[in-house]
Amino acid sequence: MDWTWFHKLASPPYIYRLSATLTPWFGWPAAVALLVATYWGLAIVPADYQQGEGFRIIYVHAPTAWMSLMVYMTMGVSAAIGLIWRMKVAHAVAASVAPIGASFTFVALATGSIWGGPMWGTYWEWDPRIVFELLLLFLYLGYMGLHSSIEDPQRADRTAAVLAVVGTINVPIVHFSVVWWNSLHQAPTIMTLDGQKNMDPRMVGPLLLMLAGFTLLFIALLLTRLRAEVLRRERTASWIREAVGS
Amino acid sequence: MREFLDMGGYAAFVWPAWGLTFVVVILNVIWARRSLARSREEARRRLAMRGGES
Repeated sequence: MDWTWFHKLASPPYIYRLSATLTPWFGWPAAVALLVATYWGLAIVPADYQQGEGFRIIYVHAPTAWMSLMVYMTMGVSAAIGLIWRMKVAHAVAASVAPIGASFTFVALATGSIWGGPMWGTYWEWDPRIVFELLLLFLYLGYMGLHSSIEDPQRADRTAAVLAVVGTINVPIVHFSVVWWNSLHQAPTIMTLDGQKNMDPRMVGPLLLMLAGFTLLFIALLLTRLRAEVLRRERTASWIREAVGS
Repeated sequence: MREFLDMGGYAAFVWPAWGLTFVVVILNVIWARRSLARSREEARRRLAMRGGES
């Protein structure tokens, strides 16, 4: 098998240039998708028969919750690659995505809380899914805190990576929590285990577009932050002169 | 318009949830760009310092 692509991906100058080229190809479609989905979800889709207009919170809650899990998987897998193959760029990816994941996990918790007010009659409940989502936020913050508290960059990468990898166990727990436990949180509505559709098809469109928009946004943010990380880590490399144009 | 803003009585929940999400999306874009700009600035300064030594 030809492993050239793998070695290329491990090369900081290659990653830096590739990220710079790719960013607008993800950033602009993300902006369009999010704007269209916003208009669609707020103004066009009819109100829910039970929750009225209040159900529209789903269009920001579900995608940010999806982000919290997807970003964590990205972080966990990158950290594992960094640990196993001692690949510097992989550690840079993990360090780049942690703040993105933390911020969207916070939004998922906050929008869920706001939604819980009128629908459950409580803003906070020690419900399995909510508790494990909160743990996810602490894992992100723990990774960031640990990483910045260790002076030696390589030891910081490796130590924080161990935490990130161990924490991935929490991702399936969050995802399946509503199935495993009798939870106040509702069960999945788009993809259920028996393939049954629970959501009005008219309501699904903006949700899927939101999910796509947030995923594209995540890639654009990751590529931008990755360039910053790669520059910061490559203190002596000569290609930097060319990259920053001085 | 009035009716749209009222969100069927759920205005106090729908708008803060959407507003917070919007703000965090924008902040993420600003933070990422600022982080890159700062890294480039630092790299430039390092290069300038090294250039002065040699």
